[in-house]
Amino acid sequence: MTSSETLLQVRNLKKYYPIRGGVFGRKIGEVKAVDDVSFAVKKGETLGIVGESGCGKSTTGRSILRLEEPTAGEVEFEGADLTKLSGEEMRRMRRELQMVFQDPFASLNPRQTAGSIIEEPLIVHGLGDAKERKEKVKELLSVVGLDSYHAGRYPHQFSGGQRQRIGIARALAVNPKLIVADEPVSALDVSIQSQVLNLLEDLQETYDLTYLFIAHDLSVVRHISDRVGVMYLGRMVELADRDELYEHPIHPYTRALLSAVPVPDPDAKRERIILTGDVPSPTNSPKGCAFHTRCPHVMDICREKRPEFKDQGSGHFAACHLTEA
Amino acid sequence: MANTLLEISELKMHFHTDKGVVKAVDGVDITVREGEIVGLVGESGCGKSVTSLSVMGLVPQPPGKIAGGSIKFNGKELTTLSAKELQKLRGNEMAMIFQEPMTSLNPVFTIGNQMVEAIRLHKKEVSKQEARALALEALKSVGIARDGVLDEYPHQLSGGMRQRVMIAMAMVCNPKLLIADEPTTALDVTIQAQILDLMRKLNKETNTAILMITHDLGVVAELCERVIVMYAGQVVEEADVRTLFKNPKHPYTAGLLKSIPQLDQRRKRLYSIPGNVPNPRNMPKGCRFAPRCEFAMEVCREKEPELSPIEKNHISRCWLHSEQKEEADRDIVGNTASSS
Repeated sequence: MTSSETLLQVRNLKKYYPIRGGVFGRKIGEVKAVDDVSFAVKKGETLGIVGESGCGKSTTGRSILRLEEPTAGEVEFEGADLTKLSGEEMRRMRRELQMVFQDPFASLNPRQTAGSIIEEPLIVHGLGDAKERKEKVKELLSVVGLDSYHAGRYPHQFSGGQRQRIGIARALAVNPKLIVADEPVSALDVSIQSQVLNLLEDLQETYDLTYLFIAHDLSVVRHISDRVGVMYLGRMVELADRDELYEHPIHPYTRALLSAVPVPDPDAKRERIILTGDVPSPTNSPKGCAFHTRCPHVMDICREKRPEFKDQGSGHFAACHLTEA
Repeated sequence: MANTLLEISELKMHFHTDKGVVKAVDGVDITVREGEIVGLVGESGCGKSVTSLSVMGLVPQPPGKIAGGSIKFNGKELTTLSAKELQKLRGNEMAMIFQEPMTSLNPVFTIGNQMVEAIRLHKKEVSKQEARALALEALKSVGIARDGVLDEYPHQLSGGMRQRVMIAMAMVCNPKLLIADEPTTALDVTIQAQILDLMRKLNKETNTAILMITHDLGVVAELCERVIVMYAGQVVEEADVRTLFKNPKHPYTAGLLKSIPQLDQRRKRLYSIPGNVPNPRNMPKGCRFAPRCEFAMEVCREKEPELSPIEKNHISRCWLHSEQKEEADRDIVGNTASSS
């Protein structure tokens, strides 16, 4: 059940990567991967973040867990600002926040058995003795739909879907409150994808989990999320309840994005908004609104002033000058 | 009806490995008519890419081996052609674009360099200047209007632009058939929409037939007229796009369609096909989908169903609606009766 209690509050999160050049390796520019992003995740909900490649959605997820050190901003989790914690404090805090990665082939150590992969977080956080841990591993394997004999196998002996289940079991091992799932199903086939999505939903119900679900597939995000945020070029451009966002998108980028998704129905009516050009480089993001170079409704003010990301009524946030006109 | 352009019948492409024979493509029939857009869908490992590579003669042999069947292109048998004769066909008559536009372009040569090379390979009489002009024209037709592109390197272009360059290269000799292997999978949705639009436009203008290989049923619904569904190295269903989406007959196709989350659907539990794709070295007896099929009957585990027509232009490989079922049933009942 979704409550109104906020579990995670992200305020003005920024992650800039320096570009160095010249003989002395001085800083000659910045990649603004995440550029002033704010949002809140409520307890028990799934917040989906969508966007195209390079929009900063993964960096946002990784900065929250401090797998990337944020440049500026606050990440408040249960009252504590994660960005101010020391390394050791953060390490302990990760019991509460876990991550599931995209590539089930790259995120599991090929030299470790499934059992020892799942057991590792328990050892790191000093939970239980050897016997209890073995029990826990067995339990986790069955929770994610694998058998206990799988514990002795190595990652290459599993299919992609099964590997992703191991990654999920590893994240669940320490009973976290929040799981950041970065493209957890995009490497999987459709029939396997639906198995993993159903598993994630079941686990959320059983363990009262909160998800930050990062993906580029709009249909998947609509399926699993309660609220959805859309990112473009390091910025959050729109955020609203799922149905509100998909049925009444405000931001021209969201509209174009939604209209571009191929619908698996040959009779579906298509009013496609085809955007011209490519996403600008984040090293040199446009002045004003980041989307103005491709926006079909661009006005003079869009080229000058960055629109504010604000509530347009009943929790529907958007950053667009059109809403003021 | 337009003439048949490509006719693959009973194609078997097997790979001989240390651990045994992998029957990647095992008896596949596909027909593509002139000017048609046909979709070939299936999950990873179903043999869709190997099928298309076999047509182009791009499967290294060994380890690959054509164990049977024929590929006819424009009436000409391809499986017996020499490498040189195939080389002549490739690029001129049929062309292919791939999923990864980065790996298909050579990073150390400029776009112009690579395009000119390709053009002059196929059109011997063309001079360098003329080839450059042709390349520029081809790039314009795929929506790259910038002149400078010819002197740029692949890394200077975005993924969408690189795929456009690939399409321009493939289309430069006006092939009759374009095989597109997951051309939009690596691209973002807004760029995918641009590329699909472009392919539709080229098909209309040049009447090039397209064999579109993809795992994305959304792309199929948008672009294709006819759809072929593959599973574990075989064709399991074929129909025109509307019939296939509205009235799928094979349980695999139906399951696949039910398991995609749809954009305009409210949240409810997704259907999922249980289990995994079978190991190609160890295919199940009988129907290959039977271990995952909710309608599996006794006959399905015993005998392999044939690809048989259900209605006009709609074929499926399933015992559920096959006329031969009763016959096969009788055989099995007879066998069990005699053995008991």
